[in-house]
Amino acid sequence: MEINEVFKPSKVEEAIKLLDHYQETSKIIAGGTDLIISLREGKESASVIIDISSIKELKEITKREDWIEIGAGVTFTKVVNATMLQEKYKGLIDAAASVGSPQIRNAATVGGNICNASPAADFIPPLLALEAVLVIAGSNGIREIKLNDFITDKGKVALSKNELLVKVKFKELKRNQGLGFNKLGLRKALAISRICTSVYLEISEDSKCRDMRIANGSLGRHGLREKVVENYFKGKPLTSETIEIGSQLLEEEVNNRLQGRSSAEFKREAVKGVFTVALNKAIENSRL
Amino acid sequence: MKLETVGKNIIRVDGLAKVTGKATYPQDLYMDNMLYGKTLRSTKPHANIKVDTKKAEKIPGVIKILTYRDVPYNHHGVLFKDHEVFCAKKVRSIGDPIAFVVATCEKTATKALEEIEVEYEELEAVFDPIKAMDEKAPKVHDKSNIIYKYQLRRGDIEEGFKQCDVIVEEEYKTSMVDHAFLQPEAGIAYLENDTVVVCVSTQYPHFDQLEIAEALKIPLDKVKVINPAVGGAFGGREDITMQIHLALATRLIGRPVKAIYTRQESFVAHSKRHPMIMRYKTGANRAGRLIAMEATIVGDTGAYASWAINILRKSGVHATGPYEIPNVKVDSYAVYTNNPFAGAMRGFGATQVPIAHEQQMDILAERLNIDPIRFRLENCFKKGSTTATGQILEESIPLERTIKEVEKQMKKSVVGGV
Amino acid sequence: MKKIALNINGEEYVVDINEDMRLIDLLRDKLHFTGTKEGCGEGECGACTVIMDGETVNSCMVLAFQAEGREIITIEGVGNGEALHPIQKAFLEEGAVQCGFCIPGMVLSAKALLDKKPAPTRNEIREGISGNLCRCTGYNKIVDAIDKASKYLKEEGETK
Repeated sequence: MEINEVFKPSKVEEAIKLLDHYQETSKIIAGGTDLIISLREGKESASVIIDISSIKELKEITKREDWIEIGAGVTFTKVVNATMLQEKYKGLIDAAASVGSPQIRNAATVGGNICNASPAADFIPPLLALEAVLVIAGSNGIREIKLNDFITDKGKVALSKNELLVKVKFKELKRNQGLGFNKLGLRKALAISRICTSVYLEISEDSKCRDMRIANGSLGRHGLREKVVENYFKGKPLTSETIEIGSQLLEEEVNNRLQGRSSAEFKREAVKGVFTVALNKAIENSRL
Repeated sequence: MKLETVGKNIIRVDGLAKVTGKATYPQDLYMDNMLYGKTLRSTKPHANIKVDTKKAEKIPGVIKILTYRDVPYNHHGVLFKDHEVFCAKKVRSIGDPIAFVVATCEKTATKALEEIEVEYEELEAVFDPIKAMDEKAPKVHDKSNIIYKYQLRRGDIEEGFKQCDVIVEEEYKTSMVDHAFLQPEAGIAYLENDTVVVCVSTQYPHFDQLEIAEALKIPLDKVKVINPAVGGAFGGREDITMQIHLALATRLIGRPVKAIYTRQESFVAHSKRHPMIMRYKTGANRAGRLIAMEATIVGDTGAYASWAINILRKSGVHATGPYEIPNVKVDSYAVYTNNPFAGAMRGFGATQVPIAHEQQMDILAERLNIDPIRFRLENCFKKGSTTATGQILEESIPLERTIKEVEKQMKKSVVGGV
Repeated sequence: MKKIALNINGEEYVVDINEDMRLIDLLRDKLHFTGTKEGCGEGECGACTVIMDGETVNSCMVLAFQAEGREIITIEGVGNGEALHPIQKAFLEEGAVQCGFCIPGMVLSAKALLDKKPAPTRNEIREGISGNLCRCTGYNKIVDAIDKASKYLKEEGETK
């Protein structure tokens, strides 16, 4: 299909109107780092392209009450440099910094990473661990949905043809809460993750794990939570012993999930190390 | 004698053009009235084909579609003329060129590629070079798949192994490697009176000229090959890719024709490093002297020979590594398969064998309980050494010094020691 | 067809583009800024790097219409007329240039880095060019060159 028309709206409402009008024939472009390749390879087609990279309200990182909100059009470079996210949100910054290359981080957006729902998306695990909520605008108004419910399958999301992801938000981290991220790729830059893991942790006054949320990328059809391992840790002290047992549990989970895949043997072993590093970072970051 | 350049830092002659972006690679050339060419390539590794271009020719903007019927002499190749300019009856690997669409713009040419009908009658293919050596294996060309055997003999191999206290037998495999030079193949051809000018990044302009002239059946002085800036090659631009297609197109149409390969097409269009299977048997005595070595090396050259003969000869010659061994038997083979074809790449056959001979050295050293560095120093080439091919090394052989220097540096680095 | 206006190397351009054209196609095929190279067409090699509104992007991953109203710097816009930019000078002197196909993108990545961070560490330099592949040099001489360029720029700043 040939591209016949292109639009560059400056307001969310304009973008929604265009989506509503063109429906399936249109595609949203922001950073373009995935879409242009799939259009050229014929994997996706669209006769209308709507560029949302000029919509200012999508490009803000703000704090509203006790929520941090990141606009869907925020680039990974902007996440890495965001004053509001320094130190306390190191897990999020690490994830953003691990995306692609400087050129790709300058263009690629948080919203694009979420809506493409690649199994290897680097930014999805930390957002899942933060129990992020998405704000979606459509012709019927605004709705909210948990990220966990939004991603329905590999590359599939619960977004109608006339809807636009506006922002992603999550609860502000408190002093005893921390987020860790770790990624295993074949090289440092431009590496599609083999495994990426993010751990959210809340530590109680008696130094035990009050709450933990673990989310993995590249270990299933899409980014997902590891509830069995999370439940194991709840209420336990974080010692080298419990971490060892926890990572073994994770190994079993991954092994069962990847049954029959050639990567299973490698990944079930590697995930233990990747997880342990992410957890230790979460512990470290919870002290900030 | 006063040296004016040796030993001094000299700024390269084309450096200024390259840092300012002015250096001209063939894709940077645009000509008036220029057409674009796109190649249709095989999607099957081994098949009889029938090609129908009628439908594609009707697309507005398509000027001509070249197939084997348009080529006066449909063969080329650096050593054997085993490549076809366009496959006539049979494809031998994925990526073999079948047709070349010339159109007014790239988009139209791409569209026309999809409209060319190719009927594939698939044939049994062979991808394992060891299986391909079997007489009963599918034939990639109409002859034995073994296209070359090199034999090297020194001393008495059987007697040699009898004198060994330790013998190590292992098999090693190396993989196919692409040069991945950064500039994908590109070229532009045009007519200067009755001379065909082909401007293309190549490592072999004078030979390209010969192959173009042969394929077009025109005198050599009617072909001019211009080699502008080349964006890396590493051996991958020694074989013809688009040269003859472009020359033929411009000669038949009379207008300039340009082609640029995508990265994907580049990967299937040019050669690879030969994957090799190397069976080694190496023996030494308790004193740590190498006594005998037997090696069988099989190089997978894919569907075309390219430089396989020279490369497998080089692997055979270098099979012992830089070590003096009195009794040596080496057989190296170059074998056709239906894999992507292999050819020149940095090292030219000398790069694969160290994977085998150095691991043999490490295993032997371990079995003999000798330090692997001492073991290498004991056996390495020195001034006056005789190689397995009988060459007496009379001049500078600084290997001993190099190994000692490496040892020194390794001891210095505290962390890892790598 | 669509008409867009954009600024390239300090000059205003109003050009007709096709809707499916990429920024690299506009720069090369339409305006003949051929210093911008295409090596892979999928953001892996960085040969097509240009600076857009102060940040590097792969021009093979930007649609031309998206560049409407933007400021683009290509290799042709680096340096001042005949005078080389200190980065280009350092690349020449350090022997960081071999086949040259990666160089325009490398120089622009280096420029974007040094514009933001005038005295980067060697690790920061490596990070800064991590989106640019070079198949010839092995990178060391390129890192040396950017390091040297940073010193040239410092000296330049002091004399001003």
